[in-house]
Amino acid sequence: MSLSDPVRFPRVRARAILGSRPFLTVLLVAAVWIAASFAKPGFGAFGHLRYLFELGAVVGLVAIGQTFVVIAGGIDLSVGAIITVSAVGAPLVAIPGDGSGAFAILAILAAATAIGFLNGLGVALLRAHPMIMTLAMATFLQGLLILIAGGSAVSAQNPLLEWLGDARPGGVPAGVIVWIFASALALAALHATPFGARVFALGANPLASTLSGIDARATTIAVYAISGFASGVTGLLLLGMNGQGYVGIGDPYLLSSIAAVVLGGTSILGGAGTYAGTIPGAILLVTITALITVVNASPGWRSILFGALVLALLLLSGREARRR
Amino acid sequence: MSAAAETGARLYFAVQRRRNRDARGLLLVAAAFLALYAYLFPGLLSVGGFAKFSQSWLPLALVSMAQAIIMIAGGVSLAIGAMVSLGAVIAATSMAGPLGVAGGAALVMIVGLAVGAACGAIVVRLGLPAIVVTLAASFIVGGAALLILPRPGGAIPAWLSDLLAGDTPVAAALLVAVVVLWKSYLATPIGLSLYSAGENPVAAYRAGAPVDAARIAAYAASGLLSTCAGLFVAAQTGSGDPVIGEAFTLNSIAAAVLGGVGFLGGRGAMRGAIAGSLLLSVMINVMYFLGFPPVAHYIAQGLIIVGAVALPQFTGRRSGA
Repeated sequence: MSLSDPVRFPRVRARAILGSRPFLTVLLVAAVWIAASFAKPGFGAFGHLRYLFELGAVVGLVAIGQTFVVIAGGIDLSVGAIITVSAVGAPLVAIPGDGSGAFAILAILAAATAIGFLNGLGVALLRAHPMIMTLAMATFLQGLLILIAGGSAVSAQNPLLEWLGDARPGGVPAGVIVWIFASALALAALHATPFGARVFALGANPLASTLSGIDARATTIAVYAISGFASGVTGLLLLGMNGQGYVGIGDPYLLSSIAAVVLGGTSILGGAGTYAGTIPGAILLVTITALITVVNASPGWRSILFGALVLALLLLSGREARRR
Repeated sequence: MSAAAETGARLYFAVQRRRNRDARGLLLVAAAFLALYAYLFPGLLSVGGFAKFSQSWLPLALVSMAQAIIMIAGGVSLAIGAMVSLGAVIAATSMAGPLGVAGGAALVMIVGLAVGAACGAIVVRLGLPAIVVTLAASFIVGGAALLILPRPGGAIPAWLSDLLAGDTPVAAALLVAVVVLWKSYLATPIGLSLYSAGENPVAAYRAGAPVDAARIAAYAASGLLSTCAGLFVAAQTGSGDPVIGEAFTLNSIAAAVLGGVGFLGGRGAMRGAIAGSLLLSVMINVMYFLGFPPVAHYIAQGLIIVGAVALPQFTGRRSGA
């Protein structure tokens, strides 16, 4: 504990300087929304914006884990596979006496966290490169999925998940509420706890932080476990919104999660960034996707537009200062 | 003059020895798998069997080289798979048309070079992180492939398919030719600067190496290799498929890392990446031969990749990181 206080003070000052990056992303979102609502009358309607936030919650939730991992200097390429495993697995672990479906949710979250924990073990103890470890995990999970689900879609019979996907207490979708709570937790953990300080230190310089007495292994394992948990929550939310889980349901979210993190100004090299930037980053991404859908182009053009727009946005906000 | 040449030669062989040493463990594992495969499938030792094996290996070897070049230059590419698809659809749509085989092949190569160079220019000149640029590029390139050929189709002239993927080991000869080309590339000023540009761009720049040119050229060469792999895949299947390359992105990274190519640039050698792709390729072949269900392929592949990467941890050789 005595370590945390001296570490915390300069970090908050550094964050104030970096604060312009998340802010820039918010400005970008605002600009895109204003332009879009002029070009497309229905865009600015409350229902449509609420829908964007609902989609943004999915990207934002998975990006929580990705933000932790990237700040700690790693990358998690298995989030898509973990989402799929959660969405496909939840209906399969349901037990008869479990009326509310809480057991299935807890079991899936535990499994997703365990997968992330294994990723962390591989990176921290086997010293496999994060990209390789998580890619191999994704490959492994892909095989496992075919084994347990046989490739067919599975429907959820889970009241809690259905509520999560459909309910709108006070007009706010349940998924967005989950996202708000999770965001508050993530921001607090990153910027106001010793653990968050350790994550930043580890990403800035693993050797120096180890020499300074930080348990690099435990911290690494923890960030991957967080990523697994966040992906699990995302998978459950997707299942609730779709009503069905199928192999490949999580695939689009791997790229979205990384793009949201980088658009939000977090350094892909680790050690700098904040989840506060990832939030507008996620909303920006789903806005782009929605706009491209509106244009009604062929899949090829849609893909080209998405890639080109992400690239253009990166030029505006994602410039990486030369380090090393 | 002769003293300098002698020092140069000594340095050259010292570097080569170090690169060999790094790849030794991997070569042993690959040789063991190869021996197992030859034991299970004695036909491998015939000309036809060897031809078939080298054909299944060549695309993976090409994309692993494509990935390794970029990683040595200090980046990573997530667009390899999309580039393979692009090469395949361009080949399948142009070769049967007025351009002919030669024109189609030239078009595949030019597009590969141009798209690769464009990615490299964005990464190097604009200072964006390679992983994100190539991620975005994979969408753009994949979309372009879908535009050219929305669904599997097109055609490759039958004689070309027979030549590249027939009963003669043309694929193995092509691989040798590519390795020779790589060695000559390394002997050019641009190629010579590749390692130093990846290891320490600032120091290389101060020492007078053309750092930016070397890194952009690495992306261009990588794009060329990827689209050529696509051409070969199209020749193998006789048609084009806009998503056929997807699996190559992950496998290329896996093979390069198995081969000891480092993510931070300037580390590893092409022989390692090629050996890594050999290991992956033999592994897949052995599992097919043993009749493993497709499920087991994924699971075993994940386990073996992690195992091979983690192995040095248990054999006592500590990496400097």
